[in-house]
Amino acid sequence: MSTPSLKGIRVIAFTWVWAGPWMGGVLADMGAEVIKVETRQRLDSQRVVKITKNPEQSVNQGQFNVTNRGIKSITLNLKQPKGLEIIKKLVKISDVIITNFAPRALPGWGLGYETLKEIKPDIILVTLPAFGSTGPDKDYLSYGSTLEAVGGLSASFGYPGEVPVISGPYPSDPIGSMYGLVGVLAALNYRQRTGKGQHVDIAQNEGVTSLIPEVLMEEVMNGRTRPRMGNRDEIMAPHGCYPCKGHDKWVAIAVGTDEKWKALCRVMGNPDWATDEKFSDQYARWQNQDELNKLIAGWTKNFTHYEVMQKLQKAGVAAGPSFNIEELVNDPHVKNRGIFIEQNHPAAGKTIVYRSPWKSALTAKNPPAPCLGENNDYVFKELLGISDKEIAELVETKVIY
Amino acid sequence: MFYKVLNGVKIIEYGNFISAPFCAKILADLGAEVIKIESPSCGDESRRQAPFFHDIPGPENSGLFQYLNMNKLGVTLNPESATGLKLFTELLSSADVFVENNPPKRIKKLKLSYTQVKKINPHVIMTSITPFGQTGPYRDFESCELVSAHIGGVGYISMREGDISKEPIKLPAHLFSFQAGLSAAVATLSSIFRQSTTGLGEQLDVSEQESVIQNLNSSIARYSYAGQIMARTDAAGHAPFHILPCKDGFICAAFVEEAEWKRFVEVMGHPEWVDNELFKDFASRAKYWDALKPLMIEWTMQFTEEDIYRRSQEKAVPLGAVRSAHQVLQDKQMAARQFFVEVEHGGSKLTFPGVPYRFSEIKMESPSAAPLLGQHNDEIYCGRMGYTKRDLAKFKEAGVI
Repeated sequence: MSTPSLKGIRVIAFTWVWAGPWMGGVLADMGAEVIKVETRQRLDSQRVVKITKNPEQSVNQGQFNVTNRGIKSITLNLKQPKGLEIIKKLVKISDVIITNFAPRALPGWGLGYETLKEIKPDIILVTLPAFGSTGPDKDYLSYGSTLEAVGGLSASFGYPGEVPVISGPYPSDPIGSMYGLVGVLAALNYRQRTGKGQHVDIAQNEGVTSLIPEVLMEEVMNGRTRPRMGNRDEIMAPHGCYPCKGHDKWVAIAVGTDEKWKALCRVMGNPDWATDEKFSDQYARWQNQDELNKLIAGWTKNFTHYEVMQKLQKAGVAAGPSFNIEELVNDPHVKNRGIFIEQNHPAAGKTIVYRSPWKSALTAKNPPAPCLGENNDYVFKELLGISDKEIAELVETKVIY
Repeated sequence: MFYKVLNGVKIIEYGNFISAPFCAKILADLGAEVIKIESPSCGDESRRQAPFFHDIPGPENSGLFQYLNMNKLGVTLNPESATGLKLFTELLSSADVFVENNPPKRIKKLKLSYTQVKKINPHVIMTSITPFGQTGPYRDFESCELVSAHIGGVGYISMREGDISKEPIKLPAHLFSFQAGLSAAVATLSSIFRQSTTGLGEQLDVSEQESVIQNLNSSIARYSYAGQIMARTDAAGHAPFHILPCKDGFICAAFVEEAEWKRFVEVMGHPEWVDNELFKDFASRAKYWDALKPLMIEWTMQFTEEDIYRRSQEKAVPLGAVRSAHQVLQDKQMAARQFFVEVEHGGSKLTFPGVPYRFSEIKMESPSAAPLLGQHNDEIYCGRMGYTKRDLAKFKEAGVI
């Protein structure tokens, strides 16, 4: 009954940094067996991010362990003919190949879609390059911040009236992951209906653009550039982030109707200024939001962000702290939901990861992120039937490397 | 639809504004039949959200609504009436998927919670998207894009190099409501895959807060391994990682590898900067940023953003142009991949963002326009469910549809 949805599906992952690995992590939650192909010739940059002081463990301590949890790792040098031969054997017994490498990487190894299809006719290949695998700019390079710039997000991000800024967490990466997964799952559904495989190509910059239609449609419909709005809304006010007791503590408050405004005023103790004509209806509040924000800040700063949230939520007003990571991990609701999972990683020790952003009774139970080549034996011996003697030779000749 | 993948999959959407409508849009784009249920009195909230075509507000004139609801069928229905609920359960009894984003209390009161829906149709997948999920102490709290961005931990670190005396800001438009809908579509697609072989459904409990949390991989790794709490000033030790002005706009020069900087100084015609001790690495450039920044700007101000973008990318520098919506719409790469689509709107054709995925074995088709309020009432209630025109008239008079 509670078998995970993708139990029995085998995925080969040529992934690095973030967008590709997070696809693997979610597929593992869905019960797929995800095998990441790595090589010491060029490691996933996130494996070598040094967050702690212990250099011996640094290869395994970083966000690599957050996104790659639940998957397997093999080491194989594809520039060696024997390495390529082995990966082709693995393709033969796999269902899906995912990659966020540059479009030329797989064809460069001799693993283009046409070749893969010859090896396994119903193979599903999902490529997730920055700008897609076709078109004049297909080989352009990009990080999350570049994508957000080119995709039209950065131009709209910043404080009102100020210059655009670079986003902190680069949501373009996990957005790319989720679109990559739409590709994988749509193709799996299609294969189940028709028996046919597929190459699905996803352009990450298009993914970013597709999530900000308001910005695009303002230009299409009215020929106008949407201004940078900070925390402001098109029409809601108050709609902002206000200072609270403590260092760098803030609470977000959003009021969309007169009724909610009255509720906010009641919680604030119905101050005299709240009855001013300048704040008498939604349009007036929106017009005078700078002044309004200062007055509300004068009230919020007397309380902690938690106190403001509790008081306002009790009155039905949308409010919540601007949590830092420590507050978030220790928040009673977040704990109750179990989105963060504490794992004991064999090399890295205590590691906090997060599951996919939904609850399903079918989510698979998975181990921590793999050490480099942790599953070589399982894949090379058990799955591919390579003998101990051959494996020793392959290690010696740096094919398994 | 864009691609015929999920033909035959029947989806009922009782969604409002962005998250659930976007989830259902992704499934409709993949060929599933989505029947969108709207309130007879006013319809979906996004019908009243800007941007409006030629700045004329009206239920059929919102660019946001049109984008979110293309490829769907639309009916009106009030499940608060007994007859309305009967029609609703009839629709649900033959559905494969039920997507909704109502407050948990409301959906239970309507007798449409998963426990209740499962009795009507044991085979159904019910995808619920709410700010805090279906469980936990904040389950019934009010939220919106602003509050979710902050209570999910992204607001606090929303920019690379901020000033903590100023309030943290959210990302533009409704990015995280969209990301939650996208994540929900991924969860639903995996469940549809399982349903098509086993006939089984499940409850998918998608939390917007958790969808925001998936953007925090670096933040959680640093906290997990070093007890470090990321703030809005963390990029201060790394340069260049900045948006800089140029002749006609802005460029995003955010580099990760020293080699990228070395290539970029050549693009700028200042290879000697590599030998300047003050600019020798990311940390040093950050320390002397006040000296370096004007030097870089002196160069960037001579060129257009498109020019700098092309010159840099040709030399393998991952620099991005900070594009406005107008520029995004002119993007030759997106045009080459046919990303933008034309959709009929009140007699004229309007450009909309398309989908970021391309399937090698399935032809891309033209999407159909979003439904007018109640456009498919006749087709669904009379054509499919067998009610007469007279029944329909009575339903309307009674406020049922």
